[in-house]
Amino acid sequence: MTVTTAPRPSPDWAARLGGLSPSDRLLFTLMGGLALLTLALGISYGVAMALARSGAIDFLPETPYRVLTVHGMTAFFYWLYSAQATILLVLAAGEKQGGIELRSFAWIGAVLVAAGFAVSELSALTGTPLLYNANPELGQDDPQVVGGMAGGYLLLAAGLVCLSVSAIATTLAAARRGASPGFSALGFGLFAWAGFLIVSAVAAANAFLPNLLWALGYATFPADATTEWHILFHNMHYLPLMATVLAWYAIARALTGTGSITGAAFSKIVFASYLVFVPPTSLYHMFLEPNLPEGVRVAGSLLSLFVSVPTVTAFLIVVASLEAHARANGATGLFGWMRRLPWADPAVANMGVAMLTMLIGLVFAFVLIQEKLAPLLSDTMFVPGYFHFFAVGTITQTFLAAMMVALPVISGRPLWRPAVLSRMPWIVLAGLVLFGAGGIAAGFLGVPRRVVDIGYDGAAPALWRPLMSLVGIGGIAFAAALSVSVYGVARSLLPARKHPAVTREPVRIKAMAPVAAGAAWTGPIAVLVMVAAMYGATIGAFELIQALPVTAAGGGGH
Amino acid sequence: MKQELLLLVGVALVWSALAAVYALAPGLGMPGYARVWGAGAAIFLALAATVWIASKNRT
Repeated sequence: MTVTTAPRPSPDWAARLGGLSPSDRLLFTLMGGLALLTLALGISYGVAMALARSGAIDFLPETPYRVLTVHGMTAFFYWLYSAQATILLVLAAGEKQGGIELRSFAWIGAVLVAAGFAVSELSALTGTPLLYNANPELGQDDPQVVGGMAGGYLLLAAGLVCLSVSAIATTLAAARRGASPGFSALGFGLFAWAGFLIVSAVAAANAFLPNLLWALGYATFPADATTEWHILFHNMHYLPLMATVLAWYAIARALTGTGSITGAAFSKIVFASYLVFVPPTSLYHMFLEPNLPEGVRVAGSLLSLFVSVPTVTAFLIVVASLEAHARANGATGLFGWMRRLPWADPAVANMGVAMLTMLIGLVFAFVLIQEKLAPLLSDTMFVPGYFHFFAVGTITQTFLAAMMVALPVISGRPLWRPAVLSRMPWIVLAGLVLFGAGGIAAGFLGVPRRVVDIGYDGAAPALWRPLMSLVGIGGIAFAAALSVSVYGVARSLLPARKHPAVTREPVRIKAMAPVAAGAAWTGPIAVLVMVAAMYGATIGAFELIQALPVTAAGGGGH
Repeated sequence: MKQELLLLVGVALVWSALAAVYALAPGLGMPGYARVWGAGAAIFLALAATVWIASKNRT
């Protein structure tokens, strides 16, 4: 890949967020606080689950399913979405370099999200465990909890709509000002992301409103709940990944002092491509449905191949941009440029590990979504084994990276112990590798993902238990490191005692000079390695599963 | 903002086409997909209209 770059002025985060009003700062602090609270709770529930799954502790029979429910609900819904709302609005305000627009919408949205969290949490902690998708089939005898969880999710959806409207107005206002008005690449990405959030709120209403109406006695039982959930679930896959690459883009811009090497126009096409690829690729979530027509199954298989195109393309742009700028400053060697990155900065370390875990996660995601393998693996430990690479390694660490950059600027309090925080992502990575290796291997050997007691009265294969112990050890390791990161970021929520204008120093590779054409091969090489690993993992999966005495049984779902 | 407008309209068109397929092929048995992608198409069309109005007001 040959690239040419030219320097462009790009204010750092302090300049971009320096003009926030006290009201906006308070809103962002509260939203960030809510997001970090949900993450801390999600981690706590996850640790309890990891201990139970590894056999380290025993719970009463129903308790693990309650823990699984609140873990999924808190982490997957409330952490990922309150964090997205926070980052979306902060980045939008940064684009405008001033206050947010439609501030009342943003405040109402934040209150609705917090209310939804309280309602969902209370319902899940006190009622029948429905798992995080609030499955009404599990709550036929307990409509109150079905209504509570659905009502909470609907409040979350309404809150996201309000927050997105404010973000749309803010990015639009940013696009209209200046000597040469128009969307920046990031501004357009934020605009599209906000629109996608609204669509996902519609998907949430489509999935949960029938459940709420049934629970309140206004409608018949929602027989199509599983299908409607799959639509929302698909959006929930894509949205955090789109948010992740936009956060990478914003951090890389601060690192290099310029935009992408491929230019703003191409970046806008890549961001829009997320939206183009969303609907057609949604079919693969239906592979577990036994009555799915064969034509749909084949179409879903073919379309699923495109599922990661936007993410991989955005990865290539960001990596190539960083590499080109590092080489322009004298970096040599195929991978030597990476040493020029400011790894001591916690945000950079988080982003680097996030990119690495994304590549690992993609390898196994492609194994799972294949039509012949999905029915065999989807209800096994393979699923949590691989998706934590995305949910924790890629998305959560990226969101934390964005907060590490933005919150100190907003509060005026410097980031807590950067030297400590910059090491945490590597411990998270080590934990994830253990967790993933144990979980994926256990999945191939048939360990069910939602059965806690896997002893089966001594009939279970001997390998199951040690593999699940590995899951437990890895889970504890990455949870511990992630907790330290959460604590460090949370410290930045507290306003500085003095000099509230104190801001975070902009992270930069080095002062930029005009850059001549150069080669940036690391991104393409990484993708080639990933594709080769996908082939290897797929072949291995087929060989392994054909050697096992198992029979596929459809049903259930993600 | 011509490029942004084209991209947003393009997204709305793709989503409309998908919604139409789900709505007009009852054999698929997934009317919810038509509702969600159809609503999504309308939302992105509205966003495109907002951008268009903003660009007109500027000039």
